[in-house]
Amino acid sequence: MRWETQRLEKAKQIIKMYPQKRSALGPLLYLAQDKDGYISNESIVEISSLVGITEVQVQSVASFYSMYKQEPTGKYLLSVCKSISCEISNSSEVIESVKEFTGLSNNETDDQNLFTYESVECIGACGGAPAVQVNYETIEGLTPDKAIDLCSWLKETEPKVIVADELQEKFGGVKSFDWAIEDNTGTSSPVPGFQTYDTLKEKK
Amino acid sequence: MSDKVTFTVDGKQLEGKQGQLLIEACEESGIHIPRFCWHKRLDPVGMCRMCLVEIDTPRGKALVPSCTTQITDELSVETESEVVKKAQEGVLEFLLINHPLDCPICDKAGECPLQDQTMAYGPGESRFIEEKRHFEKPIPISDIVLLDRERCILCARCTRFSEEISGDPLIEFIQRGNKTQVNTFPDEPFKSYFSGNTVQICPVGALTATSYRFKARPWDLKKVSSTCNCCSLGCSVELNVSQNKMLRILGEDNEYTNQGWLSDKGRYNFEYLHSTNRLLSIHSKENENFENINISEANEKITKKIQELGNPDIKFIIGANSTNEEYFVINKFANLLNRNEFLGKDNSNVYFADDHISNGYFGDQYENATFEDLDSSDAIVVWAEDIKDNLPVLYLRIKKAVKNGVKLVIFGHTNTALESLADLYIGSEVISNNFEIQKELSNIKELKNIINGKKVTTIIGKSTPLQQKKSLDTLIDYLQKVSDLKILNCFSKANTFGALQQIDQLKGLNEFCTEYENSKKNIVFTIGANPVNASFFGSQIKDILQEADYVISLDIFKNETTELANLILPTTAFGEKEGTITNMEMRVMKQNKILPDPGSTLSEWEYLVMIAKSLGEDINYENVSEINNELVSQYKTTVNLPTFDNLNKPSNLFGILHEKEINLNTNDVEKNNISLLMVKRLYGDSSTQINSQSISMLGSERFIELNSITLNKYGIQSNVATLTQGSASFFVNIKINNFLPDNLVIAPINRRGFEKLDPTKEFDIKETKNMKELSVN
Repeated sequence: MRWETQRLEKAKQIIKMYPQKRSALGPLLYLAQDKDGYISNESIVEISSLVGITEVQVQSVASFYSMYKQEPTGKYLLSVCKSISCEISNSSEVIESVKEFTGLSNNETDDQNLFTYESVECIGACGGAPAVQVNYETIEGLTPDKAIDLCSWLKETEPKVIVADELQEKFGGVKSFDWAIEDNTGTSSPVPGFQTYDTLKEKK
Repeated sequence: MSDKVTFTVDGKQLEGKQGQLLIEACEESGIHIPRFCWHKRLDPVGMCRMCLVEIDTPRGKALVPSCTTQITDELSVETESEVVKKAQEGVLEFLLINHPLDCPICDKAGECPLQDQTMAYGPGESRFIEEKRHFEKPIPISDIVLLDRERCILCARCTRFSEEISGDPLIEFIQRGNKTQVNTFPDEPFKSYFSGNTVQICPVGALTATSYRFKARPWDLKKVSSTCNCCSLGCSVELNVSQNKMLRILGEDNEYTNQGWLSDKGRYNFEYLHSTNRLLSIHSKENENFENINISEANEKITKKIQELGNPDIKFIIGANSTNEEYFVINKFANLLNRNEFLGKDNSNVYFADDHISNGYFGDQYENATFEDLDSSDAIVVWAEDIKDNLPVLYLRIKKAVKNGVKLVIFGHTNTALESLADLYIGSEVISNNFEIQKELSNIKELKNIINGKKVTTIIGKSTPLQQKKSLDTLIDYLQKVSDLKILNCFSKANTFGALQQIDQLKGLNEFCTEYENSKKNIVFTIGANPVNASFFGSQIKDILQEADYVISLDIFKNETTELANLILPTTAFGEKEGTITNMEMRVMKQNKILPDPGSTLSEWEYLVMIAKSLGEDINYENVSEINNELVSQYKTTVNLPTFDNLNKPSNLFGILHEKEINLNTNDVEKNNISLLMVKRLYGDSSTQINSQSISMLGSERFIELNSITLNKYGIQSNVATLTQGSASFFVNIKINNFLPDNLVIAPINRRGFEKLDPTKEFDIKETKNMKELSVN
């Protein structure tokens, strides 16, 4: 299926930000992932014609990075960090509690297509370990109980857009950065990334 | 600073050039460093780590990959120290973790760099006891190439080739880490004109070609160097034969011409040699049926016929695949018949199987270029037929030159495939659909900026036979005036230049048709030519051959032309005959014989000498070297003659550049109204290709190209349509090509049935429901 006009417009906006078209590949793949929850072959074809490289070159990049999903995920992708800083801050129990709540093991999606669970390497939130990402929006300073609260809240309310700040306030603890970026429209933001702590407030 | 660098390798003082890679500098001094990923024609990547060497750095000794390290003055290198040996053993042990040890059934075994280097540098045994990774074995990545991902060692040679050299990156690394594999995108096969090169440079048996798979072991192959005759580029090749069967053609790295690469046509167009359809015996037509006769009967028939007809007009239509020696004998034979006044003296009777040959730019006022000039000039100007399809390896040379900073100017409308490389593409705003120049060239500012006062090499020839030569003259005049110009005349068919050099005066098929006189008694020889197919004059020639009193065809296959012959003489083909050929730089190179003559075939010259003798002519050659000796004795100089001895010298890849006077004096075509541009594609319906199993289907697609405005004019929505002209009607695929001018439609001439189309007449394109819709409704 072809991309809808709005998504194409956004893609063109993103491409304009780079001196070479193909440099926009990364953010365009986020757009693709936002569309289907994974990078579909149809999206690869679309991107290939947008930036003027072959399909297989797009696929090469898309399949290299583990955060570009190659298969559909559930509505909420739960990525729990298992790296060293989180591990010494008790992430293994957070992992256990999320696994138990969802009944999933690594890289599995439940039958309702609600949750996909994965344990991941460092997500760069060591200052607020242990940390979890929901659809790549980061929540820091979790405890095993808060993690369960987070999951059950997601299950009950099924929010349309995940906003890091909101979840952080509800379930998080110590935090290292202000993860929210100005354009809070989920994974389709133009340049994925984060601003350092408090910069968002200054801007406002 | 001088560009010479002195460095030490294993205690020996060596010299190299500034900026040279260590592995290359060592190679040139005779020190071999093992490698998998490094290839001298590709950019270095340092993927495989096999070429690790120890160098002195300010922080002590360090292991570095020699393929990504440039030499510097007083660099000290160890290539055989204990540390290096341990590193090499380690790298090989790692590579063999996942590489299957299926050498006994692997085609590469015996010439496999991984096998050889494991023997030479490997640890001898592995500590790895776990399961190796598994993939489906093998998967087809195109019609002619298969990929075994288990054997792949991820050196990236194939992916780099497809991106850097051929410019069609349809294979890439997918996934990462332990899952990394080379693959294509689903439903986007590795459809490249150059895909066979990846098979040749693969350092393991991961990429194999359908034509060679399981056919032979490398140590059983008999090998000989030769020169490819698929186009007039003259690529150096190595012919591999086992049990008298040609099994493989490899590219040889010839700095002057192909630099190691071949097109897939040149590489895989050989299976026809052993096709069951080959003509192996003499056929004579008796009462509309062909009967086998022997050679003396055939000879008798010909002599009798010539004498019986009294004073017949004898004409020759020759193809492009003969050797210079054969053309020499054809010319002599034709002249002898001339002298006997079978034919007026000032009348040439040899016609090349090509429509409207243009006169080209030969002679003292033009400087002939070589391929090396492409690299050393400031700009390349191209006005010719489709280079990528007709001279594929020349396309690679142009691409390489452009990569190194040479400016490229393309004149429309046949070379749209080169547009993405070009600095300036001159299309419909300057050139009409009839290939006339509509604007003063000196008024094109961009062109002026690129060529004025610069060293320019031009590749020049008619875009289509129906083009008038006038516009080429205008361009050449202009370029000569403003730049330092060298010229590559572009005639793309095999040994065209050999024919031009050896035949006193060559003409085209249009002259054949106009000069043929029905009222006379006529004998026509067709020699390796099939003018009935793939010529604008096909139907006219068909009528002529039907009317002629006697037609003698020398060929390797039955085809549309031999069907009309009274006598068919089977001839030898590529690899079965020795001789020289001349490429488009006028470089004379050697073709070698490695296969025996199949069946009762003879070389073209052998037939002609035989016939001449029985006509009482004084023409006598025992073998092809004699012809070669006489041929070179007619050159004006005595140095660097293209004798077999000179060309056979070991590693003589330069060939011999010899300009023999070329005398072309054809009339320009009259102005045409071109609405359908007939372009020759790389793959088509030639009898050699359709009898080569592996590539026989590659030329079957029927398609037309046009721009979207023209497409709209015909009101076509889908990507399939019906092309009709008179009684001819074709179901065609549509390719949009927006570099084409409005109202110009490109169709391939060498696809089955397309020869019926007349490029100057009206045609129509109608929408066709595609198959899906048809089956639904």
